[in-house]
Amino acid sequence: MDADLDIKIRRMGDIPVVDLAGDIDGYTCIKLRDVIIELLKAGDRKVVISMAKVSYIDSSGLGTLVGGLRRINEHDGGLALSGAGPQIRKVLSITGLSKVFSVFNDETEAIRSL
Amino acid sequence: MARKARSVEPTPAEALASVDGSSERDGWKPEDLKMFQFLRGVLNHIDIAYVATYPPQECGIATFTRDLAMAISKYTPFSDPVVVAVSGEADIEPYPKIVKFQIRKPNPHSYLDAAEFLNQSQISVVNIQHEYGIFGGQDGEYILDFLKKLRKPAVATLHTVLFDPYPNQRRIVREIAELCSAVVVMVKMGKQMLIENYGIPPERIVVIRHGVPNVHRVSATVAKKALGISDRPVLSTFGLINRGKGVEYAIRAMPRILEKHPDALYLVLGETHPGVRNYEGESYRKELLQLVADLGLEQHVRFNNRYLMLEELISYLCATDVYITSYVNRDQIVSGTLAYALGCGKAIVSTPYLYAEEVLSKGKGMLVDFRSPDEISQAVDYILLNPGFREEMEARAYRYGRRAAWFNVAIDYLDLFHSTRSLPKAAPAVIPSRVNPNKTDRSKTA
Repeated sequence: MDADLDIKIRRMGDIPVVDLAGDIDGYTCIKLRDVIIELLKAGDRKVVISMAKVSYIDSSGLGTLVGGLRRINEHDGGLALSGAGPQIRKVLSITGLSKVFSVFNDETEAIRSL
Repeated sequence: MARKARSVEPTPAEALASVDGSSERDGWKPEDLKMFQFLRGVLNHIDIAYVATYPPQECGIATFTRDLAMAISKYTPFSDPVVVAVSGEADIEPYPKIVKFQIRKPNPHSYLDAAEFLNQSQISVVNIQHEYGIFGGQDGEYILDFLKKLRKPAVATLHTVLFDPYPNQRRIVREIAELCSAVVVMVKMGKQMLIENYGIPPERIVVIRHGVPNVHRVSATVAKKALGISDRPVLSTFGLINRGKGVEYAIRAMPRILEKHPDALYLVLGETHPGVRNYEGESYRKELLQLVADLGLEQHVRFNNRYLMLEELISYLCATDVYITSYVNRDQIVSGTLAYALGCGKAIVSTPYLYAEEVLSKGKGMLVDFRSPDEISQAVDYILLNPGFREEMEARAYRYGRRAAWFNVAIDYLDLFHSTRSLPKAAPAVIPSRVNPNKTDRSKTA
């Protein structure tokens, strides 16, 4: 019931798909940041973040996504977002971050893009 | 259409992280500058001016303006917001840097100067926080002079929408709607009233909820322990105290509440509204203290007579079992304090003023009649005795509060501002001179 962020990782072939459920905000974004760092440490370079069950994202959450993109790009990798609902797309569009991230409706498409 | 992530060589999240304080800055490297510059280039830019009262002035609108400006600035790290603060005649408040210009409330020339200041600036859109009392002239009509001189697109947030306004009050709101690209109200009922009672075209009216802090819930038990009030059922009311809050009715409910909950504690948090203090001093608070003494409630009603910082306020709200708003005026179209209680996921007992009636619908709170200590005590008693009922109510309140978190409200405002900025100035609305003749002007009464 309480706003939180549930994070699960599954693999589609070689690519980790990070399933997020809940809110990405100042309280929860650290968990997401740590997951991305751990994936990079484990040698992953291409990552899909599934936003389908994300209810809200605030500026801290956006900062964490941009930070994740930065880290992955530093390793010549790629990051794609999949399944973002209308609210998340609205946030990305209004801030201008839709020009920064690859955003796909479909997870398969997101994986294929990397 | 989806786009491929750009392979921007270096770094950071800094552009956003630097304004939201996230720990991304820990990873700052010199090459992050390139990412910073990249983000500066791609993020949407909009410079917003807010015309309103502003902290350290102590009033709900000042707090609202600060919260809104801060929430929006987190999404617009490369923009330069400006506040035009409405101040009194003589005192220059020690304002923060964001305040670039002051309107002296009673001085009509000051409004024209402010408009000219904004006309000459880089500002993209102007947001006016409107309440009759914060601007000068009869019913705050000087704000119209400001709007007439302003050459930038404007959006007005209406904090007061009277069901049955005086003619001059109606005129002012109608003219504001004519001179602005849009007016914002915080509940659907407000929009309905503007359409029916003021004749404002619906397409000019946008409903955006009152923002609430982003609060992750902690158990009341933990919060109470931190405040040294463990094991007591805690009721609370907060805000700038004034007669409109009807605190005496909640106090009068306490003897009945204590019959079943002998350790109950009612916290009245906040100082007397400065505007009220100016004309009647602390007489209302003294009356409340006398009432507490007369009823022998000294151990069960506690006043905290000072302006509470947000963190402290949230601590008290988290420690609260039942939040009470007992306003006596049905016309109240918004209540920041009630919005905050929802944000904290509290069980709420409230009188049915317009804002409460709408936001507490569908089981998000219990409504009781105006000026009715009996009904307040019954509702509080029911909540305290039925934990399952209470938990469901708290969950519904919290879900509402999440949707109204400032970071969501900021996006709605940004969306509106972006759509407004393309307009050089409001295209005049066609507002019929008289609408709904049944909504007749009333005679002014004391």
